Amino acid sequence: MPLDTSTTYPLTRLRLDGRRWNELRLLQAQISTNAASSGSSYLSMGNTSIMCSVHGPAEGRRGESSGSAGSSGAVVDVNVNIAGFAGVDRKRRGGGSDKTSSRIAVILRSTFQSHLHTYLYPHSTISIHVSVISADGSILAAAINACTLALVDAGIPMPGLLTGCTAGMSGSASTPKDPRHDELDPLLDLSLPEEQELPFLTVGTTTVLPVGENGMDGEEETSVALLNMDSKLHSTYIETMLAVGIDGCSQIRELLEGVIKGSNRA
Amino acid sequence: MKSLRRDVSSNPQAANVTSKVFVRSTKSGKVQKIVRELYLRQDIPCSSKLCSLCPSIAPADANGNIAPFVLSDRPAGTKAFPRGHYLVPDTNALLNGMDLFEHTGAFYDVIILQTVLEELRNQSLPLYNRLLSLIKTDEKRFYLFFNEFRLETHVRRGPEESINDRNDRAVRIVASWYSEHLKASSQKSKKEKSIPAIVVITDDKDSLRKAKEENVSALSLSDYVSGLEDSAKLLDMISEAREARDAKGSVRGQMFYPEYYSMSKIQTGLRAANLHQGVYNVSPYNYLEGSVNVPAFDKPLLILGRDNSNRAIAGDIVVIEVLPQDQWKSPSTKIVDEEAVTRNDNPDTEETEAVVTDRERKALQEEVKKAHGKHSEGKPQPTAKVVGVIKRNWRQYVGHVDSGSTGSQVASGRRQQTVFVLPMDKKVPKIRVRTRQAADLLGHRILVTIDAWDRDSRYPSGHFIRSLGELETKGAETEALLLEYDVQYKPFPKSVLDCLPSEGHDWKVPVSKEDKGWNGRRDLRDLLICSIDPPGCQDIDDALHARLLPNGNFEVGVHIADVSHFVKPHNPMDLEASVRGSTVYLVDKRIDMLPHLLGTDLCSLKPYVERYAFSVLWEVTPNAEIVSSDFTKSVIRSREAFSYEQAQLRIDDASQKDELTESMRNLLKFSKILRQKRYDAGALNLASPEVRIEADADEVGDPLADVKTKASLATNSLVEEFMLLANITVASKIFQSFSQTALLRRHATPPPQNFEDLINQLSKKRNMELDVSSSGALASSLDKCVDPKNPFFNTLVRILATRCMTSAEYFCAGAHAESEFRHYGLASPIYTHFTSPIRRYADLLVHRQLASAIGYEGEDGHAGLEGVATRSKLDDICRNINYRHRNAQFAGRASIEYYVGQALKARGEKMAAGGTDQGVDEEGYVMRVFENGAVVFVPRFGIEGVVRLEDFVLPGEAGAWSVTQRRELAPHRTTDFDPEEYTLRVEEKGHPEKERGVFVELFQKVKVNVSSVKEEGRGAGKRRVRVLITGSSDE
Repeated sequence: MPLDTSTTYPLTRLRLDGRRWNELRLLQAQISTNAASSGSSYLSMGNTSIMCSVHGPAEGRRGESSGSAGSSGAVVDVNVNIAGFAGVDRKRRGGGSDKTSSRIAVILRSTFQSHLHTYLYPHSTISIHVSVISADGSILAAAINACTLALVDAGIPMPGLLTGCTAGMSGSASTPKDPRHDELDPLLDLSLPEEQELPFLTVGTTTVLPVGENGMDGEEETSVALLNMDSKLHSTYIETMLAVGIDGCSQIRELLEGVIKGSNRA
Repeated sequence: MKSLRRDVSSNPQAANVTSKVFVRSTKSGKVQKIVRELYLRQDIPCSSKLCSLCPSIAPADANGNIAPFVLSDRPAGTKAFPRGHYLVPDTNALLNGMDLFEHTGAFYDVIILQTVLEELRNQSLPLYNRLLSLIKTDEKRFYLFFNEFRLETHVRRGPEESINDRNDRAVRIVASWYSEHLKASSQKSKKEKSIPAIVVITDDKDSLRKAKEENVSALSLSDYVSGLEDSAKLLDMISEAREARDAKGSVRGQMFYPEYYSMSKIQTGLRAANLHQGVYNVSPYNYLEGSVNVPAFDKPLLILGRDNSNRAIAGDIVVIEVLPQDQWKSPSTKIVDEEAVTRNDNPDTEETEAVVTDRERKALQEEVKKAHGKHSEGKPQPTAKVVGVIKRNWRQYVGHVDSGSTGSQVASGRRQQTVFVLPMDKKVPKIRVRTRQAADLLGHRILVTIDAWDRDSRYPSGHFIRSLGELETKGAETEALLLEYDVQYKPFPKSVLDCLPSEGHDWKVPVSKEDKGWNGRRDLRDLLICSIDPPGCQDIDDALHARLLPNGNFEVGVHIADVSHFVKPHNPMDLEASVRGSTVYLVDKRIDMLPHLLGTDLCSLKPYVERYAFSVLWEVTPNAEIVSSDFTKSVIRSREAFSYEQAQLRIDDASQKDELTESMRNLLKFSKILRQKRYDAGALNLASPEVRIEADADEVGDPLADVKTKASLATNSLVEEFMLLANITVASKIFQSFSQTALLRRHATPPPQNFEDLINQLSKKRNMELDVSSSGALASSLDKCVDPKNPFFNTLVRILATRCMTSAEYFCAGAHAESEFRHYGLASPIYTHFTSPIRRYADLLVHRQLASAIGYEGEDGHAGLEGVATRSKLDDICRNINYRHRNAQFAGRASIEYYVGQALKARGEKMAAGGTDQGVDEEGYVMRVFENGAVVFVPRFGIEGVVRLEDFVLPGEAGAWSVTQRRELAPHRTTDFDPEEYTLRVEEKGHPEKERGVFVELFQKVKVNVSSVKEEGRGAGKRRVRVLITGSSDE
């Protein structure tokens, strides 16, 4: 059995993959990977890799667009598929989506539905397909980032880049935080073994105004667009984790901007 | 189609990422390939105080703190390394010599590698945990170096390389990196400091050779230790298992034991229910007879003889196979003592002996004969043999060196020799230990551990850990007891003491009611509360009051020390208490669960001062019907702390008419009614053979005067009744609030077959019946077991009946169905422990649950649900406190037994000086009859003595009292044993006349002579309490 974070981290201040508490995994991404779709992206955070393609905005299927939802703006439709070979065990999946993937799909849909400027495209559908090729933790965060890239590639207007990141604590954190001898550190961007052992949350942030060359210099205003936590921990730790997660999101935003600009240049 | 994966070389960061790939198999047999990322870095410090490079790159945690460097700048050296050294052990070195690394005399400044830690965890979880706690302590200066993440020391496994070779290579690379690094840093600082050597400790011969080639200094563990001072002592602490492993492949001795089945065969067998799994138990009277309780059968399966027990040691979890019916036997009716049978074994000459010595074989044969004998009682029972061990439960054992096993050249000093260590626990076989200090260890209590038990060895082999001191010295024997029963007796560490209130003994209940300490507390200071405890009690858990209400009913209150106010969940003090589980009371010592300041002062409900309490208040009618109950945190002021005797005197003294006395009289009246109700409901009145020791400094008087049987006053049961009532009331309250996680206590209904033997014995010998259909029926039938001539007989039966029952246990409500909550002994549907939080951890948890159940908010308003842990956590806690509770009882009893032995010895010496015979004449009762002896219970001292053949004093025998003299008598004696009638006649061979023999039967009252004797001859250095039967006292 390999070592675990909660015993060795306090001794060495190193995580199981050799990172410090505030370091992201290696993030690599590309856009326009699939010429057949309106927009597409490939993104890997460590060993988690995700492909995403966007179709639309296109005319919605009959019946859907006639409803009240479509009349005010575009409907975002998200489809998540976690490949059978993505995890450690090869799982045979019978066609339909399982609990994890449909949960992620619901979260992504509601997040992007409110994030995108959908009012520009009434009576139409924007459909997003997310394929998890390999899963090594922070799937939701990686999916958010991949979707953002693909939506940018498809040219769908949005107020700012929506980026996601996970943050956890280096121990079970089930008791109130003791400011005098606090042994626990927050951790950024958790890998699968860490997710299985430690409490963590996923946070997604966006900038209110588009940033970049036309954006304002100095302090950019970010807002939290998504917050999701499935694990149990004492409420006194939330603030620390949130701060670290938001910081991780802005690091990722810079990386994604680099990806978008780099691909324009080519 | 272009590849989506980006070319790694284009990203400058990617160069430092590599991955670790390994394959593991799951429990279900699936093979998984795991890929993990590794981020290589250069900012992992070497943590040497000598280094001038690393402090600048040392990492900070989220709060900006930098971990202090660990390794000393002046490390200790040896002759070979005069400039000092840092040690780098590999996994095998740690596996073989963990005791050495924990030794305080040597092994400082050790670098533990991540590679080694991980490998150790895979090999042995207990050793891994011990190593972790070593790393955490500051004084040993162990540094955990994550070598796999440092760019320079990361090692990739070569194509043809085995994992072991790779790990060994990693160790050597770290060693050479360290020496380069320290050299570089000293050059940079331009100060000529002496650079310590980096010494790899490895037991792998190949690795040693390669280290030489690579210019890394490496030593085997024993070579390194030989270079230290005090090497003889330390060398003994190297595990035997390694030497056994070395010997493998060379000359292989004769195989004494059958091989265990393969794991897959065991698993298939278990699944098909051909094999069974259970815990191996050994009979306390016969070391060759074991039993295993398996869920498939009602009764335990017998395991007879060494061949069948196949290297299992009491407590191991074993897999057994039932033997064919022709090999079934009846349980032994003989007392077989390992010491007596195998006295002459020689620890060195292994090759010539068989597993079953002739004497053992003879002992077994006789039993087989018995099984096939004429008596229906000796009905053969199913037997089984051990075919595999799932989990060894080896621990550290306390024992002493068998003086007979040391060589003749004992005095010749430092030569290594093999000796036998006899563990204190009779159920554990003797352990073969190789030592260079046999001469020094003779006559000492020592601590040893078992390393291995191979097929070619008759006895397990182990190694010496440390000496506790001379046999029979108070210090050594007390420590031995504590170690044997796994009692945590080390002083509280600083982190625990830091959790105490800073005011110390000056802490007081806040004067102002505005203070946050008063939040949610009721002011009960005006109530007339008093406490009643044994004399000299310092940790007062409970206090009581009763007062008349205007409506004619009474208010009765039980007030319990509010320990949960001082011990907050999950702080170091709470963790320490949960590990300790309970306070352990020895005759002359108390091992506290909580630090002294809390237990005997701040929590203790001392009289005349204000204290925080947790109160249970009832409104009862004058007939002790409970109208309502209420729980509250409170502040009380006890008016008086009585001892049981004082309280009794005050109640009986008719001239005392004050309110406090009246309130006690009311309490007494209620307690009597409650008690009667409880008995009507079917509660049992159980008995245990308890004596109390009242130690006083009186050197002149008779030492035995201190030994007193427990007396019971009405005030004892006054307190007891109300505590029971409080516990029951609280139990139902917390169960209401926490249907899954309430911590309760239950006493399972014993299965009727447990009582079979006793029922049989009673009907045969006394024509009495025992109805075990319910606790009520048992209680009333026990009441009828009275022998008018023999008032103690009833108590004896109660003691025996108690032994047939299961023991009560803590559990968490979700673990059993509600119908299983019953407390059999108390005849209560639900029960818990609430009333002694100072000395029991369970009570502390119940306090937290109750506080949460009544919505107590705590001082700062968010105590809330903190006290209520999750189910799985509670299960762990229950397991631990059950174990600690049992051990605390055993330790207490063993302590009394030891004290009685010492008192007898002191008396014996005094009498011997006066020229009279040693020993005390007492009355005893026969509890069990064997073919070659009997077990006699002596109520005066609360001891059970095994009476061997030679210990029967035949009529007309001259007073030959010494042990050696008596031992010679045994071969001349013959017995006539009737297992059906439970009788035994002992006579001298060739003298069958009735008046020259001694006849004993079960339950008989006999005259005994009790003395403490030193074993003479080969078993020297041990003392036992000897019981001689001198005659029957029925006539």
